[in-house]
Amino acid sequence: MTDSGPDSGAMRAEIIAALPRLRRFCRGLTGHGEDGDDLMQSTVERALARAYQFETGSRVDAWMFRIARNLHIDAIRSARRRGPQIDIEEIAETSGEDGRDTVENRSDLAAAQRALQSVPEDQRSTFLLVVVEGLSYREAAEVLEVPLGTIMSRLARARARIDAVVGRSQGGLQ
Amino acid sequence: MSDIEERLSAWLDGAMTPQEAAAFEAELERDPALAARAASWRANDSFISGALAPLAQEPIGDDLLARLGLAEPEALPSAANDNPPWWRQRWLPVGGALAAGLALVLVMVQRPADTAQDGGLSFALESTPALQQARLADGRTLVPQFTARAADGRWCREYRVDDHAGIACRDAKGWKVEAEAKDLGPVADGDIQLAGGGTAAEIDAANARLKTADPLDSVAERALIAQQWGDR
Repeated sequence: MTDSGPDSGAMRAEIIAALPRLRRFCRGLTGHGEDGDDLMQSTVERALARAYQFETGSRVDAWMFRIARNLHIDAIRSARRRGPQIDIEEIAETSGEDGRDTVENRSDLAAAQRALQSVPEDQRSTFLLVVVEGLSYREAAEVLEVPLGTIMSRLARARARIDAVVGRSQGGLQ
Repeated sequence: MSDIEERLSAWLDGAMTPQEAAAFEAELERDPALAARAASWRANDSFISGALAPLAQEPIGDDLLARLGLAEPEALPSAANDNPPWWRQRWLPVGGALAAGLALVLVMVQRPADTAQDGGLSFALESTPALQQARLADGRTLVPQFTARAADGRWCREYRVDDHAGIACRDAKGWKVEAEAKDLGPVADGDIQLAGGGTAAEIDAANARLKTADPLDSVAERALIAQQWGDR
């Protein structure tokens, strides 16, 4: 924290308090432990550098979720510009299956990550915010800067997709 | 996406009004396929959130906080009883990047300004914890050194701005600079001290005049900042 927050000491404490959930959100977004931790670090750096943009009275954790999600989108777009043009959904489906040994290997977590990575990024971030992080529809809409109706449709699509993926795999998620 | 699926999703999230939920639950009773889908979606939600739950329970260690730039700043120790007054020891080693290359050769003492309102100095003193950096309007960097209470009840802060050090105290009208020492030069080993005897005479004199108590620790100082210095 440098010069800028309305109350930099208090904000720093709130950022630290939000780190466990931010780490979970980042790992869920990326589908990968190390990538998720890198995203968390970038998010904290951005938050510290732009503390002056934080609106006093709003939630620090929701603000950091928004930063993390935007950074993740930027990374996906950058990857698309650098490499062959592939669909974001395909990136989501292949991430975690790229041969790296560091993919979350605990069985339940690996199964959950596979299910999450089966849905497009916009649906995944919405699902994570509401179902995993417990944000209300309105809070999720503010984080993702979309209308409430979009949150509802994304959640329904994510759940339908996850259910279909689970249904195709023997034994379901577990 | 069908309306029924959006409604099912909203029902699972408790995002319906009581009337909407009651109507939907009546549909569930009439439609076994819908009820089965609801059970399946709920089970998927529960499994995924349960599988990810441990990720938010992993400890956040000091190493991680340091990597993230969130480590607690090193607090300056208080003076022991058999030591010289704390304000004669203020140029204690603080280590790290903060100390590296800091120029501290006392050449002259600047006449104190009437107030510290200019250039963001007041805001920086008001809101920046000790050993954190604050950028002033003219681009210079201010680093509060510590906070201590004067005998008259005012809170005072020693600070460093690029090439000079100062002490300012806060009353109901804001921050007032009590003394400044200018043109400070580097010292060896990364420690911070003043050349020519290791003390800044004007700031020592100000501390003596103000009868400042021992510095606050970092926790107390942050609490004071959070309270907007209201503990007077």
